[in-house]
Amino acid sequence: MIPILRLQAAFLGSCLAAGAQPYSLPDAQAFLKTHCLLCHRGKAAPGGFDVTRYSGLPGMVADAPRWNSAIVRIREGSMPPPGARAIPQDERERFTGWLSRELKSAVCSSNPVPAPVPIRRLNRDEYAATIRDLLNVHVNAAHALPVDGAGGEGFDNAAETLTISPIHAEKYLDAAKEALQYAASEPKSRELFLIAQPGPGKTPDQAAEEVLASFVPRAFRRPVRPAELAPYLALFRMAAKRGEPYEDALLFALQGVLVSPRFLFHVEAANNTAQLRPLDSYDLASRLSYFLWGSMPDKVLTDLASAGTLNDPAVLHAQIPRMLKDVKATEFAQRFVEQWLGTRELGRDIQPDAKLFPQYYEAELQSAIRYEPILFFQELLANNLSLLNLIDSKFTILTNKLQRHYGLPKTDIGQQPKRVELPENSHRGGVLSMAAVLAVSSYPQRTSPVLRGKWALDALLGTPPPPPPPNVPVLAENHAGEPARTLRQRLTEHRRDPVCASCHSRIDPIGFGLENYDVLGRWRTEDAGQPIDSHGELPGGIQFEGPEQLKAVLLSKKDLFFHNLTAKMLGYALGRGLTPGDQCVVDGIVEKLAQNDYSAHTLVEEIVLSAPFRMQPGPSNPSP
Amino acid sequence: MTRAKFPIHRRTLLRGAGAALALPWLEAMEPARPAAAPVRMAALYMPNGVHPELWTPTATGRDFTLSPTLEPLSDLKQQLLVLTNLWNQGSVGGDGHYVKISGFLTCTTVTKTLGVDISANGVSMDQVAARHAGRFTPFPSLELGIAPVTTGVDRNVGYTRVYGSHIAWSSPTTPLAKELDPRRVFERLFRAAHPQSSQVNSDALLLDRVLEDARDLRQSLGAADRHRVDEYLTGVRSLEDRLKRSVQPERSAWSPRAAFDPTSCPSGIPKRYDDHVRLMLDMIALAFQTDSTRVATFMFNNEVSNQSFSFVEGVEGAHHSLSHHQKEADKLRQYQLINRWHVEQYAYLLRKLKSMREAESTVLDNSMILFGSGIRDGDRHDPHNLPLLLAGKGGGRLDSGQHLSYTPDTPLSNLYLNMLDAFGAPQTRFADSTGPLPGIFR
Repeated sequence: MIPILRLQAAFLGSCLAAGAQPYSLPDAQAFLKTHCLLCHRGKAAPGGFDVTRYSGLPGMVADAPRWNSAIVRIREGSMPPPGARAIPQDERERFTGWLSRELKSAVCSSNPVPAPVPIRRLNRDEYAATIRDLLNVHVNAAHALPVDGAGGEGFDNAAETLTISPIHAEKYLDAAKEALQYAASEPKSRELFLIAQPGPGKTPDQAAEEVLASFVPRAFRRPVRPAELAPYLALFRMAAKRGEPYEDALLFALQGVLVSPRFLFHVEAANNTAQLRPLDSYDLASRLSYFLWGSMPDKVLTDLASAGTLNDPAVLHAQIPRMLKDVKATEFAQRFVEQWLGTRELGRDIQPDAKLFPQYYEAELQSAIRYEPILFFQELLANNLSLLNLIDSKFTILTNKLQRHYGLPKTDIGQQPKRVELPENSHRGGVLSMAAVLAVSSYPQRTSPVLRGKWALDALLGTPPPPPPPNVPVLAENHAGEPARTLRQRLTEHRRDPVCASCHSRIDPIGFGLENYDVLGRWRTEDAGQPIDSHGELPGGIQFEGPEQLKAVLLSKKDLFFHNLTAKMLGYALGRGLTPGDQCVVDGIVEKLAQNDYSAHTLVEEIVLSAPFRMQPGPSNPSP
Repeated sequence: MTRAKFPIHRRTLLRGAGAALALPWLEAMEPARPAAAPVRMAALYMPNGVHPELWTPTATGRDFTLSPTLEPLSDLKQQLLVLTNLWNQGSVGGDGHYVKISGFLTCTTVTKTLGVDISANGVSMDQVAARHAGRFTPFPSLELGIAPVTTGVDRNVGYTRVYGSHIAWSSPTTPLAKELDPRRVFERLFRAAHPQSSQVNSDALLLDRVLEDARDLRQSLGAADRHRVDEYLTGVRSLEDRLKRSVQPERSAWSPRAAFDPTSCPSGIPKRYDDHVRLMLDMIALAFQTDSTRVATFMFNNEVSNQSFSFVEGVEGAHHSLSHHQKEADKLRQYQLINRWHVEQYAYLLRKLKSMREAESTVLDNSMILFGSGIRDGDRHDPHNLPLLLAGKGGGRLDSGQHLSYTPDTPLSNLYLNMLDAFGAPQTRFADSTGPLPGIFR
């Protein structure tokens, strides 16, 4: 499968202002003739990719994966290969933009069958939350498990990168044992899972069977046949036979349940019918629960699954507000937001310099900074507010320390984060003015308009600039004896080179618009004695001054923003990278969002009701 | 959470700052057995390349002068091979970092992907060694590191950051997760060396159950999904095998070659990066000395790491941003100090291994410790002439004490042929190798 391209025609989406010039098949043919045909023709064409075999769009659509990878290579500048004549950036953008639009619209009009969701294991966070809910213990049972990498749309729940190392087996064995021992020592937990004791009229075997019959279906997140219980009962008997007391023997059997692949993996019932069908209702309960809670389904969801009504859109619809109001939705907000915005790396690879920014190392402030975007997002979800608040908003989530850090007037808030309405001219509102975001898009020692611009293009608009071409001229140095030039002056010179300008003309201005914020997001009007110049000009002559006007520009590009946000959330919900067919679903959801004032629940509902989320392709369905 | 299984909690030992963290265990102890010492192999990976002008020694052969960056190795010169002009051809193109690091030990080109078709397209050379020697020790290999996998995918260049966070690949699609907590490493080693048969037997019963369950489950899955369950099966099987061997003396002649000093158990991940690195290197030394494993990899950090090095005198900045020095004198100066700091840590490990007596020799004499990066000049992401050092005498096979300069663009995989040969796992070919390097063996 090929990564989806999100080459929007809008000017922010491409390195150069693509302008409104129409582009059509003859233009594309001329492009291919000029830049590709020298090599890509005939039997000896590199990679067997003979461009002359395609007489028009239908042929290209039929071979979409191939053309999609060609688009990637042309766009990033690795094709034509080094040594061949490079294609000017604007020509590349126009060709690839046109072709990806054409390929997408062809895919969408064919009404594609959603791709299957591959089997994947619980990731580290899901493991911890599932153990927590299964045993009612409030410890992190996953503390010793390796951290997971990310794939697909950038999340660590993507099936493709949830690999398993030999070390996992060992860690699962230990983690299960620790968690069970801990739970057995807690009255609240015992009540939940150690539901039977041997006694008058009840043999140890019968009691163990009772416990297992209640525990195993919860652990496997689906009903279990008596025959499936038998092996665990056998484990109990083996331990009892060795002379272990009832409870030790039972915990041993339960440890067996917790290292079973049926607990550790999201296993969905196979679709052996030929065609697309609604997902098994228990599997749907799990998908929904791991999407919005990052954990196993609760009794309400399991009961709906058991009644067979969960796949009814009205029933699903009613569950969403309930789930988003639950405290467990913080798991979703935290995992989604921290990976989407990249703020999870704060305190890992990205650490503001301790000497220059000692304030950051005050624990309460650090925590307030970290949680601001998470709790803000959760506020939108819980109260079904407009997602436009992410770009600009009249409130945010503060503690007293963060309020002071931002230089805002004191209100009656304390150590606990609270929603605060922002005063006029507060320079706050939306993720772009949050300290966490401003810190992850800075160097440890100083701000960088380039990093911040790149961050906004990637995280907010989903249009990351390509990597710099090899052998880019470096930024001109400051030489001794000459007056030192500011970063702005040096970047301006850099942009005189058309190769650099093609991307930096859209990267740098966004970053300059945010220069009033320092590394920790504090407002400043000068830096090292120089006044801050927060003026920016984007391709197309769009001028702005400072973050407020920059946000207005971004709001005018909200279509791009919502395509990106929707794709990210759909990828997160499915636990896999998106396919070209999924991109059509994204388009549909963005339309619905526009009709519903961009309300947070609309986004979640449309994802849950979408075909990729609640339908399952059959073995004979082709993958789009 | 209770972690009562492990006996000793001597946090006090580690509370002191600085030097107290370097654990002086075992120096005074006699080797457990005088039997022929095994050969060990480790690879230490430094991200972000080096200052290209201050790395290579002057002159080749035995009479070379260490460069400013390599100067911390001056007392270890006779144990050292400096290797010039090697590269991994497979790492050309792609991008500046991910392709360079993830192919460092595989000598392949990793598949460009955000994740869907993740593949190193080869197995790393440490894992080739581990497959050979894994049956002799409790652990086939150890994968250690400092930083968790970097968050997210890199859309600018089109790679998942999983690539930048791993160097050991046991199969083309299985990057091996790193252990980051020195305390957990110690506990694993300790437990493996001191198995309790009742515990082992219970665990083995559970693992049998898992194997059956997984076999059932895979019947109902499609081929693509089976692959994931098989990964788990493989892990379970190797753990079960290890457990069984540990309590059945007739199946394994293994016992630790040195006694464990339980008081030297680290208390967890230290706050400071430099302390953390030292403790992880201590764990490699301990694992090699006790013969808990013969193969280890260690990553100083993930590729593209922006670790702050302001704890090094004269450095104010972060690693990756300084590696893009743009030829500015001050950035180059700091970049070199960071490189030099890494070499100092390497020297620390070598000295530690050298201090561990083993019959007539030392653990270092019986080891091959590789140090390197997947790029040379970080500013240019240059894949040519990689910075590479190999220390230890590989059980007497290596002709150490030389600076060896080869024809430009000689395959790095050729060096791995030498190393695998000295390790006792000779290969006729590895990745794009063309034959072992001359001059390495005595």
